[in-house]
Amino acid sequence: MKRKTIVIITIMAVMQLAGCANLGVQPWERDLLAKDEMALDSEGVDIGLDDHIYFSKEATSGGRSFAGGGCGCN
Amino acid sequence: MQLKQTKNVSATLAAASCALLGTSVQAEDNSEEWKFDTAILYYGETDRVQLVEGVFNANKDFGDEHYFNGKLVIDTLTGASASGAVAQSGVQTFTRPSGNETYTVEAGETPLDDTFHDTRVQASGQWTQPIGENYRISGGLQASKEYDYLSIVGNGSLDMDLNQRNTTLSAGISYAFDSIDPVGGRPVDLSSMVVDNGQFDSSEAYQQAFDATRLQGSEQKDTVDLLLGVTQVINRRMLMQFNYSLSMSDGYHNDPYKVLSVVDQQGLTQDVVYESRPTERTKHSMYWQTKYALDQGVVDFSYRFATDDWDIDSHTIDSRFRYNLSETSYIQPHIRYYQQNEAEFYNPFLSQGTALPEHASADYRLGKMTAITLGLKYGMQLENGNELAFRLEYYQQTPDNAGFEQPGTLADEDLYPSLKAVIAQVSYSF
Amino acid sequence: MRLLLLTLLLLVHLPSSALPAPDFRLQDIQLSDYKGKVVYLDFWASWCKPCRKSFPWMNEITNKYASEGLVVLAVNLDTDAKLAQKFLRKYPAQFNIAYDPQGSLASQYKIPGMPTSYLINKQGELVVAHKGFHLDKSASYEQEIVALLKQ
Repeated sequence: MKRKTIVIITIMAVMQLAGCANLGVQPWERDLLAKDEMALDSEGVDIGLDDHIYFSKEATSGGRSFAGGGCGCN
Repeated sequence: MQLKQTKNVSATLAAASCALLGTSVQAEDNSEEWKFDTAILYYGETDRVQLVEGVFNANKDFGDEHYFNGKLVIDTLTGASASGAVAQSGVQTFTRPSGNETYTVEAGETPLDDTFHDTRVQASGQWTQPIGENYRISGGLQASKEYDYLSIVGNGSLDMDLNQRNTTLSAGISYAFDSIDPVGGRPVDLSSMVVDNGQFDSSEAYQQAFDATRLQGSEQKDTVDLLLGVTQVINRRMLMQFNYSLSMSDGYHNDPYKVLSVVDQQGLTQDVVYESRPTERTKHSMYWQTKYALDQGVVDFSYRFATDDWDIDSHTIDSRFRYNLSETSYIQPHIRYYQQNEAEFYNPFLSQGTALPEHASADYRLGKMTAITLGLKYGMQLENGNELAFRLEYYQQTPDNAGFEQPGTLADEDLYPSLKAVIAQVSYSF
Repeated sequence: MRLLLLTLLLLVHLPSSALPAPDFRLQDIQLSDYKGKVVYLDFWASWCKPCRKSFPWMNEITNKYASEGLVVLAVNLDTDAKLAQKFLRKYPAQFNIAYDPQGSLASQYKIPGMPTSYLINKQGELVVAHKGFHLDKSASYEQEIVALLKQ
């Protein structure tokens, strides 16, 4: 049941986002988005290190990208 | 190329690597130079685990959006972590995982297993390139090795750009193969810890009893992850990402070094047994991230909800706020809040006289808890264009009692000690 | 082959290959003044990474073909002219620069990406459009220019 709800919410959210053709900018309006610090993974190295810490201290991992396998710390 | 002019280390390295690969630097007109991100991190818990981790990350743009990323991570872990056994009003004796020694824990102290120290090496490579106008593919491999553990991961993903690249749909899959071969063998699930208190006639008799609780050889775990994502540009300042991921693992999930105390009605430990976790786990997570560009910086906010068939639900809020002090320096406060409830088979201890459950673990990481991280980063661009950054963070984990009553003298013991750690990091990009 | 397909594809996007280039005036530059010349019209911005590669190349073709009737006109789309000036100090331009901070010309031309460049023939017609700038294709860009100059 829980799983079904999640799947439905996900599909709805995806459709909502994909369907909003009026969202977004023109190609020449990407001045701010083009900045390095606006990249979704701009803190890549820090996040990798943090993920390793939290992976070995907490029960949940992943979500941002793949949770994968990894160290035998949890 | 004149050496005198190549003061830039990265250019020299790029030339060297390209020579190794047998391609000429000149032929790569359209590409960018190698970019390296390095970092060293210290993580220290009060009286517990200390971790030192070094990262060497290399990115290369081969032109026309063909990217290579290579990463090498080395870390060393020392110190002790909670074994899962409860504190007692008297001294306790435990056998080390190897079976070769015993150690004692003072009255009122949380039992720790101090044999845990390990060095891990992880190497990975990722290639990303466009396919036609609107598609991108990416594939990568990662291998990680520590003394008792080996992990090999492969991943592949496809991105599709829509709506003038304002919308990107992503789909990815990853497969991980993990193999564990613990020190002293794998404990038999829920078997009693054999402690040599002089009750054995000979060391052979002890060894025989110990060996009866152990399985030799390595165990495996297979994990398949699926990820579906949408990235959407909202307006000139705002960007959003929404991910759903499914992770299914099958195989050995135990932490072979974790135990549970079996206590009587007075709260006195009668036995210590090794934990037993299910051999399968299915996790779902929803992740939402948004970035907002301010005139003076960037706000980064993310929320993750995760749920799994071990009945662990968790909520994570992670937020960074980059504030540019000048054109070449910034500060970035960071706050993270994490909350999880306990696994369905989590038990801080077992009670004598009741039947052993099929699965049980007293691992604090599977218990109910909240955690907070507060951090600050300062970064600056040096005159040569390279970036230097410092990060200092404080992490506190506060376990909660999920409604387990502590019988007898156990009521006086702190079964949920909080964990405090400091994270310090220096990063250098060139 | 792929390049050819891509070029064809972009040409298809233009209603007709003989479409007159929309005339415009930016600062003291009027497109129609260049009739009789081949115009390489480039849309760029300081934050656009491939633009760092295209500027040296545009200097090169300016020096090579200006005497044969080529005009390179690079329209800047930065909202803040200061950022464009900073870029130009780093990548000096030996060709004409015009400013369209509101992006009104860019939206009139419906440019599909950054940078986008157009080739306008001596009759003032749009003949070629290129999305992005790829140094490894610069030889074919140059051939197109040479062909138009000969017409």
